[in-house]
Amino acid sequence: MRNLIIWIALAAGLIVLPNVLSFSQQEVLVFLTINILLVASYRLLTLTGEWSLGHVVIMGVGAYASALLTKTTGLPVPLGILAGGMVAALIALALSYPLFRMKGFYFLIGSFAAGEIIRLLWKRFRDPFGGTKGLKGIDPMPDFSVGFYNFDFFEPTSYFYFAAIVVGVCLWILWRIEKSPVGLTFHAVHWQDKLAQASGVNLRAYRTLAFVIASGFAGISGALLAHYIGTINPNSFDVEVMVFVLTWAIVGGTSTFYGPILGCVVLTILNEVVLRELGLEQTRPLIYGLILILSILFMPNGLESIVQKFTRRKEAGLMRPEEAK
Amino acid sequence: MTSLLQVKDLTMRFGGLTAVDGLNFKVEKGTIHGLIGPNGAGKTTTFNMISGFYTPSDGAVLLRGEDISGLQMHEVARRGVVRTFQHSTLFAELTVLENALVGTHMPFRPNIFAAIFGWDRDDRDGADARARDALRFFGLGDLMNEHAGDLSHGHQRALGMAVAYASHPDIILLDEPFTGMNPEETKHMMGLMKRLCSDGITILLVEHDMQAIMGLCDNITCMSFGKFLAEGGPAEIRNHPAVIEAYLGGARHVA
Amino acid sequence: MFELLAQTGLNAVYAASYISLVAVGLVLIFGVMGVVNFAHGELFMAGSYVVVALYADRFVPFFVAVAAGLVFVGLLGLLMERALFRPLRDNPLGGLVASIGFLMILQALAVLGFGVRMEHIPPVTQEVIAFSDRVRLPVARLYVIVAAIVMLSLLWYFLKRTRFGWALRASAQDPQAAALQGISVTLTAKIAMFIGAGFAGLAGALTAPLVSVNPYMGHSIIVTAFIVIIVGGVGSLEGAVLASIVYAFVHTFVTTFYDGVLADITGLALMLIVLIVKPTGLFGSADRA
Ligand SMILES: Nc1ncnc2c1ncn2[C@@H]1O[C@H](COP(=O)(O)OP(=O)(O)O)[C@@H](O)[C@H]1O
Ligand SMILES: [Mg+2]
Repeated sequence: MRNLIIWIALAAGLIVLPNVLSFSQQEVLVFLTINILLVASYRLLTLTGEWSLGHVVIMGVGAYASALLTKTTGLPVPLGILAGGMVAALIALALSYPLFRMKGFYFLIGSFAAGEIIRLLWKRFRDPFGGTKGLKGIDPMPDFSVGFYNFDFFEPTSYFYFAAIVVGVCLWILWRIEKSPVGLTFHAVHWQDKLAQASGVNLRAYRTLAFVIASGFAGISGALLAHYIGTINPNSFDVEVMVFVLTWAIVGGTSTFYGPILGCVVLTILNEVVLRELGLEQTRPLIYGLILILSILFMPNGLESIVQKFTRRKEAGLMRPEEAK
Repeated sequence: MTSLLQVKDLTMRFGGLTAVDGLNFKVEKGTIHGLIGPNGAGKTTTFNMISGFYTPSDGAVLLRGEDISGLQMHEVARRGVVRTFQHSTLFAELTVLENALVGTHMPFRPNIFAAIFGWDRDDRDGADARARDALRFFGLGDLMNEHAGDLSHGHQRALGMAVAYASHPDIILLDEPFTGMNPEETKHMMGLMKRLCSDGITILLVEHDMQAIMGLCDNITCMSFGKFLAEGGPAEIRNHPAVIEAYLGGARHVA
Repeated sequence: MFELLAQTGLNAVYAASYISLVAVGLVLIFGVMGVVNFAHGELFMAGSYVVVALYADRFVPFFVAVAAGLVFVGLLGLLMERALFRPLRDNPLGGLVASIGFLMILQALAVLGFGVRMEHIPPVTQEVIAFSDRVRLPVARLYVIVAAIVMLSLLWYFLKRTRFGWALRASAQDPQAAALQGISVTLTAKIAMFIGAGFAGLAGALTAPLVSVNPYMGHSIIVTAFIVIIVGGVGSLEGAVLASIVYAFVHTFVTTFYDGVLADITGLALMLIVLIVKPTGLFGSADRA
């Protein structure tokens, strides 16, 4: 009952939120929503202990796939977004064969190389990827009406509602996975792969599973992005974006589901709203970098550790591995 | 009749060192079989080969007559051979119950789609019941929500066994399970092992504690410097000149 | 045809020179500190800007500016060691993030100090060694080649023949054992950071008049350096030099005969293949990060 009230309040808050923001803030809000899915999917991958540097490129795979499919086959945009996720998952499955021969640092670098190769392929093959200039005029979401509300997708507010629903469903699925025996197995693979394997866990299969699922949701987030901004190019998914994802996850903390999301929200607001509005356009990366360093030095367990201090109740429920450490 | 488990000419070389050298022995179904030998004799290495953690350099591991050498550890486990590790190897960051739940991975294989939609209630309940049973069996019933890393040494060893037991294996390989336990706990644990055995679980046991070995085992294989030394019942092994020689000659520790 | 091959070969030798200076520094830092220094490309960039500031803007003699670049960036390395890597010694992922933060700061400082435009640096020398009409080596490139050979030889001598070098290698192999033998981990870390960063600064300073200096130039060099250290085997200095040479030749030849993007793809594919065949890198050993 209490939970229901919280959820309703949250939903109401999200419905009102864009209406109190300026236009540019509304745009930030849409990106933030999409990035939340991106970073939450990234966390699923880190559950098994692997850190990838190719996640944003996989997001791009979803973006390119959805953009191209809707354009060439006339697939409706919502289905294109789904297809984008599936293509990203399939590409990840293919990549998992070489990549999961590696672990740790080598996986990090290997995933980076694989991602860069994909990006360079987009650059090199003007047909169909549009080369360095990328794809333009990507089909927007078609406007529609649900009676009491007209979705007009040139408005960031409308797209925010749409994206929030898609992202909400995806987060729910990610959450269900994490809190399931599958999620527990991911943790097991991370913390003590030998013992997990001796308990009959196929390590390679579970690492691959986490990678493929995470990639599928990253692909969906990419497709959401593509149909919002209408133009994408290889540099939309370069390593700088990856660095942002990495820092959201680490500054937020990765031992809880909400940690990376928290990191994403806080850092985005800091970077895009506070620093921008203070008029610090040129010093923005400098301050951002400083924040990054200070937070890793003085808050090594992430923002989530601060939240945990306030909410630490010994809940004797199942599956609460995130209180570990 | 084929034995449940048989190792044939099992050999493991690490570079120039031959840690296990042409080892042969059989483990019969429903027995407790001891594997003893001085420190460095190659017992853990033998376990590692049986469980699929190492691929033998030579020789074979036969499970019910089927050659399982060279399979990966999870493939071996799925055939009913489950092991514990010499040093308390646990998911220290997870709770005791979660540790045991990982142990139920094989009988209650997780399914991701069922998990998302909540169609796996029965499996989850089954796994939960099984895990709690295993924990209670090993006396950890009151500690289910503790972090495994916070347990005492003796409890950690018990948890390692509970994780292995939770999958209800046919044969369980225990590597020095009594280390870190006081005599009281050891005695209690011995009782539990006898019960496991009478439930039909075969046990292959490596252990320091000679008293425990002699009290538990139906059959004992003794090895030294990677080679087979002697085999027989407790009484035979106790008085076997080669065994005495190996332990006294090795002079340091009885292991 | 022969002349084209010869010219391309010369270009490759030049590329191999500055790449190996950067990569060797990266390997040294990784080996001793156990962290992947993502800011290494920006240290290279910082070296270039020292030359912009001193040589192009203030007419300090070129080689003095280059030496200043080496020392200045070496000091940046010391700063990183003290402020970032030492407190984060047990947290390799944290070290990586901190180096990313440092990278952003360096980039931002370059933008603030010099703007985002590309810098025009007056050529140091117009002289060209002409082997034939179409095989020519600009002397400015020769400087880079000579400097790389000299510095790498000095480093080799330092590592193999001096006590400090011995201590450095010992603590790269096993920090705990080294500490037990009375080797100061902090001191070796400082030395490694100074040399590692200094080499990147030197490479950046020397090549400044030959490339387009801009605040974002670190990106492509760090990608190259990663490829090289993977192919050469993480932790192996000789491997890094060897891989630099191989990479430079492959990349330069593919660029000349096909195109630059394909060359980049080839380089990355080369690295992926090495990783697939030997998942820990060619000479790599245990997993560090
Ligand atoms: N992974 C390995 N690499 C090299 N040598 C090993 C390895 N594992 C064990 N050994 C060596 O093999 C021998 C047997 O070790 P082990 O099987 O652990 O003996 P035990 O368990 O009987 O004490 C020892 O000499 C040990 O040093
Ligand atoms: Mg042993």
